[in-house]
Amino acid sequence: MIPTIDSPVARALMRYAALMLLLACLATTAGATSYEAHLPPELSTSPRMCDYVPCAEVLPGADSFSERKGSPPYVEGYRGSGDGKKLVGYVMLSTDITDLPAYSGKPVVTLIGMDARGYFTGVKVLKHSEPILLLGIPEQALIDFNHQYVGKFVGDQLEIGQSRPDEHIVGLDAITGATVTVIAQNQVMLNSGMAVAKQVGILKPTPRAAAKFVDSGAAPTWQQMVEEGSLQRLSVSPAEVGSSGAGPFIELWFGYLNQPTLGRAILGRSGYDRLMADLKPGDHAIFVIRTAGGESFKGSGFVRGGIYDRVQVRQGRDIFSFRDTDYLNLYGVAAPGAPAFTESAIFIIHGGNAFSAAYPWQFVFLGNKTDRETRTKTFVNFDREYWLPANYLQGGRPLVVKPDPTWLKIWKDRAGAIVAFTALLLGVAVVYANRDGLVRRSSHKNKWPVNGFKYVAWVISIFFAGFGLLAQPSITQVLTWFHSLLFQWKWELFLSDPFIFIFWVFIIVTVFVWGRGLFCGWLCPFGSLTELMYKVARALGLKRFQTMLPKRLHDRLKWVKYAVFIGLLAVSMFSMGLAEKLAEVEPFKTTILVGLFKRSWPYTLFAGTLLGLSIFIERPFCKYLCPLGAALAMPTTFRWFGLKRKQECDTCKACAKGCGSLAIDRDGRIDQRECLLCMDCMILYYDQHGCPPLAQERRRRTKSGLEMTRIGADGYFIPIRQIPTQAAEK
Amino acid sequence: MSNEKDLTVDADPTNSRRKFLNTAALAGLAGVGLSVGLSSCKQDSAHAPAAAAKTDAAPAPVAKAEGGKYEVPPGQLDTYYDFCSGGHSGEVRIYGLPSGRLLKRIPVFNMDALVGWGVTNESKAILGTKPDGSPKYTTGDTHHVHQSYTDGTYDGRYAFVNDKLHSRIARIRLDTMECDKITELPNVQGYHGTFPDKRDPVDAAVNRTTRVFCGAEFSIPLPNEGRDMDKPDAYRSLFTCVDADTMQVRWQVLIDGNCDLVATSFDGKLAATNQYNTEMGVHFGDMMAAERDSCLFFNVARIEQAVKDGKFKTIGSSKVPVVDGTKAANPDAKTALVCYVPLPKNPHGVNISPDGKYYACAGKLSPTCSVIQHDLVLKWFDGELKDAREAVVAEPEIGLGPLHTGFDGRGFAYTTLFLDSQIVKWNVEEAIKAFKGDKNAKVVADRIDVHYQPGHGFTSMGETKEPDGKFFISDNKFSKDRFLPVGPLHPETAQMIDISGDKMKLVADHAVYSEPHDSIIVRRDIIKTRQIYNLDDFPHAIKDAKDSGVFREGKKVTVKITSVAPAFSLPEFRVKKGDEVTIIITNHDKVEDLTHGFAIPKYDVNFLINPQQTQSVTFKAEKPGVYWCYCTNFCHALHLEMRSRMIVEA
Repeated sequence: MIPTIDSPVARALMRYAALMLLLACLATTAGATSYEAHLPPELSTSPRMCDYVPCAEVLPGADSFSERKGSPPYVEGYRGSGDGKKLVGYVMLSTDITDLPAYSGKPVVTLIGMDARGYFTGVKVLKHSEPILLLGIPEQALIDFNHQYVGKFVGDQLEIGQSRPDEHIVGLDAITGATVTVIAQNQVMLNSGMAVAKQVGILKPTPRAAAKFVDSGAAPTWQQMVEEGSLQRLSVSPAEVGSSGAGPFIELWFGYLNQPTLGRAILGRSGYDRLMADLKPGDHAIFVIRTAGGESFKGSGFVRGGIYDRVQVRQGRDIFSFRDTDYLNLYGVAAPGAPAFTESAIFIIHGGNAFSAAYPWQFVFLGNKTDRETRTKTFVNFDREYWLPANYLQGGRPLVVKPDPTWLKIWKDRAGAIVAFTALLLGVAVVYANRDGLVRRSSHKNKWPVNGFKYVAWVISIFFAGFGLLAQPSITQVLTWFHSLLFQWKWELFLSDPFIFIFWVFIIVTVFVWGRGLFCGWLCPFGSLTELMYKVARALGLKRFQTMLPKRLHDRLKWVKYAVFIGLLAVSMFSMGLAEKLAEVEPFKTTILVGLFKRSWPYTLFAGTLLGLSIFIERPFCKYLCPLGAALAMPTTFRWFGLKRKQECDTCKACAKGCGSLAIDRDGRIDQRECLLCMDCMILYYDQHGCPPLAQERRRRTKSGLEMTRIGADGYFIPIRQIPTQAAEK
Repeated sequence: MSNEKDLTVDADPTNSRRKFLNTAALAGLAGVGLSVGLSSCKQDSAHAPAAAAKTDAAPAPVAKAEGGKYEVPPGQLDTYYDFCSGGHSGEVRIYGLPSGRLLKRIPVFNMDALVGWGVTNESKAILGTKPDGSPKYTTGDTHHVHQSYTDGTYDGRYAFVNDKLHSRIARIRLDTMECDKITELPNVQGYHGTFPDKRDPVDAAVNRTTRVFCGAEFSIPLPNEGRDMDKPDAYRSLFTCVDADTMQVRWQVLIDGNCDLVATSFDGKLAATNQYNTEMGVHFGDMMAAERDSCLFFNVARIEQAVKDGKFKTIGSSKVPVVDGTKAANPDAKTALVCYVPLPKNPHGVNISPDGKYYACAGKLSPTCSVIQHDLVLKWFDGELKDAREAVVAEPEIGLGPLHTGFDGRGFAYTTLFLDSQIVKWNVEEAIKAFKGDKNAKVVADRIDVHYQPGHGFTSMGETKEPDGKFFISDNKFSKDRFLPVGPLHPETAQMIDISGDKMKLVADHAVYSEPHDSIIVRRDIIKTRQIYNLDDFPHAIKDAKDSGVFREGKKVTVKITSVAPAFSLPEFRVKKGDEVTIIITNHDKVEDLTHGFAIPKYDVNFLINPQQTQSVTFKAEKPGVYWCYCTNFCHALHLEMRSRMIVEA
């Protein structure tokens, strides 16, 4: 099914086509179409292939080409000459490598360029005979299809259908109405690319030792085979293909037949012996039956084109398609308890050395998904893994190292940074949990016991978490969550950035324990940056230019950020794309993720203005614009531990005056939603010199010569009236 | 022409067939004196219409549902192949069962304008040609198709079919479903019955078909080259053995009387033929003169030993060894080559039961079916039986005009009754008990009317050791009122009967073009065909399109063409008037089912080239002008454009 040897027939075809079209083409030499194009007869025979076809078009940058070399053949493309001559890549002619036909029953003669690292550089259809591209679909569609390969790595699992990053599958958009053509073309591209990539050492051939079977002589029933996993089911629901109705769209059972115990169970003894007698070395037989659903797994593409365009087998990067001659009738399943079926097939995998039944493989059903509104069709692939149970293999299943999912790979790759980052977050949490001791040690004159930690957290957040790890949480993540909660939750999506993921776990926990201030005030890279700038400016003597908005104005403006958040959330319901654009109200991307001067000027101006303002006003963005802050502020209402207040706070304005966040109102209540947990008021709370009620008491006791007792957890000196025994008891 | 028809037409063309048949049968019956049997039969048949009336009273949907059960819905496949002779059409046909859909006609002895059988050089080489290159015969009359066996059941390798008209045997390879060999039998006429052996009688290791046996009906002077034409006493019949692998005639046996149908034992030891003309009569009345005819059993091992020992002669120019199997030459059973088991007159058809124990030989003019026990025949050959007649262990009366018998593997036999237009289901062991005098034995289990006048009848896999007892097909000779009228020549009916239950159920009328005689119903999994041809199978294949062209050697011109839809490799080619032109075409398309045709107007050329196949034709270019050769088999959206000009220069 994958003839990877050069085919004399294919060459003959081209020569013959050349003959046939010689006269016709004299009249139409200007024709741009490659439909039944005239190809020079030498193309298939001459060692100097590139004299006859534009090799440079598919391998840009190359100015000279070698003769055909290797088996199957390819040419090398070079730039420069003499000592400076450098290998650019490789060019191959598809028909040198495979004669796989497309819909017309003839191959699409394709010139393929690949750079020295194995990335496709160009694809040019020299000649095709596809009537559908002459009559219904513009030829450009094929050119566009081929263009998708440019820049893709030959070793990637390129498949028609949607990309599935977690399975390492790179999707290609098909041409609606020309499935057979694109299935064949993808096979041709991969066969050709891999054949050459393996020869030149870009791809290491994956040695999969052939399976050695254990023939137990048992006659398992259908149910037993299902339970042990030697039969697999692939079921597609109507919803998965955009259709409606009850029951599956298609339900298939499939299994591997070369294994003697299983083959005999399915085919019966004589059927099995007969099938095996017909197979050549390297051939593998599988069977498929349809037990439910009205969709055919055969379709009709094979009738004229000879290729089954709805089923494939995939093992690693090797894809095996089936030709009409790879199909055999399956009349019945011998195993007792087999379900009734309405469609059946035996397919032969011409695996050569590439396929081994000892290793897992996937059976792929290629479906069409219809968008209910637009009626447009997209290709979706459904697959199901098959791996012979260990008891059917001599020595059991071989060890297979499965590639980690992308997210896990990232987590492993960044393990060190993840540990460091987690340590930062835990450190801050531990420091904050012990705030009582720190604030007691501080005073309104010396806040270093608290601020020392906070400043360190800031610096690490800004430079390590922010600029280093790009771990800047953003409102867009909140929007994504909302959508995930509403539509589809995919852990892989969130796990793909470990730092953001960990950050969010931290944020969610701390918001409900202590309020959003711990993140916003201590760890947000941008927030920390702005406040650090403010503090540095003050230290540098700019204090006199620094100001706060009047409280009344502030109390109005602080609602703006909530409006921004609600607005973004509303927009995201209609257009996630637009919402993400509008989320540029966050200067994070400009400032931290990309770089202030790497973006177009409006972004730079906006972020620059906010940063500039931050020198004079403490955290203007956080206070008035930050939608993320707004989003976190709301659940902060329900935080578990608030800040402490005393009875006198309702009249005393001492803390409010010093509150950088302007979070304390005229009645002395702290608005926990606005509070960034700077701890200034908490320092004051225990400060017998700073907190007016305490200062008053201290002065009274000094005057009276009374003992200065410790300040209790309630923020007052421990009363001395009490009898010591009672106090001790307390 | 079938035997059954011969019987009537030759006798009295002015009488209506059926009227005559009844009289003839009664005459036959009277001779045997079985009026009791007759009346009992009549009772049974009277019973059948009553049952039918009951069914009529029941709502029609019942019958409909019964029918629907046997339909094959779109997209689903039949469960059996029915390989069927085509009678005097000279071909073999394949039907799908239970649907009755005609799947293929395989030209064998006839010409076929569609595939070009008899047109291409390849088919002519198989058919045999006259010195001018035209086929030796273009007519044929196929009656019996049988498959090769391995281990007692069909192996899907070959089918063998007779040509009664020109006494030829043909072999069809079942991977391509094409005739690959035709052999003309010497010294015989009216080669009718044929059957492959099932294992080797000498070499136990060979448990597959290696011989095919052929029975000749018509006796002729030997050699038949003008001598003894008016001395009917000198006319003789021969029984022939053909090698299944080489298709060469191995040997022949000279016998008393004639041969008709043929059966072979599962152990390979015996071949049998029934004989209706013991009298060696040349006229109708003469053939029915004797009260007893026979069923003959050939001891294959002894015959081959005799050939080996040189105890044979040859006849005329034929080199085939002929051993003497006449009664006079074989007085001692212990050394006899042939055993003659006497049976009621004019028996028709001999069939072996799937367990290999019994041969059923229907009476035709006797309302009986004789059961001959296989191991008793072997005993006769060992000299342990006084009289060969002792090998007959049952002879139940089953109805009028019994012809052929099929088996279901559950102990029942199903015999066609030509005159009664019925199928009778009877129990073999019960018949044996009844023959021994057991009055309580219930022989006949069921009867069913068929429409009308069945000839052959056969069961699914019934001629193998794996009978499944599912279906019986009754090939009926008359179909008046069963189908839309299509003119005086009527289709025939293959009626399908479900025999899986206690009662037989008629479930389908399949119309068939005249005239299938015998068929075999083969489980579908046994057959495995090729999807496309192999280029290398053809010595003349043009493997590369660039090898196309016109190659001249004097007056002989070879035109080499390849085809790939939608074009021939040569858009035109030139030859000269008077040239002997050979056109060779290789179809380079590889897609299954992508067959091309090649037709030349006014030159009477048309044939098919399947994917990867090579075919050729040779003709004389006598008419100058331009002749558009074109593809006749729809192949492509541009099929109409698939042409090539043959330019014949004056």
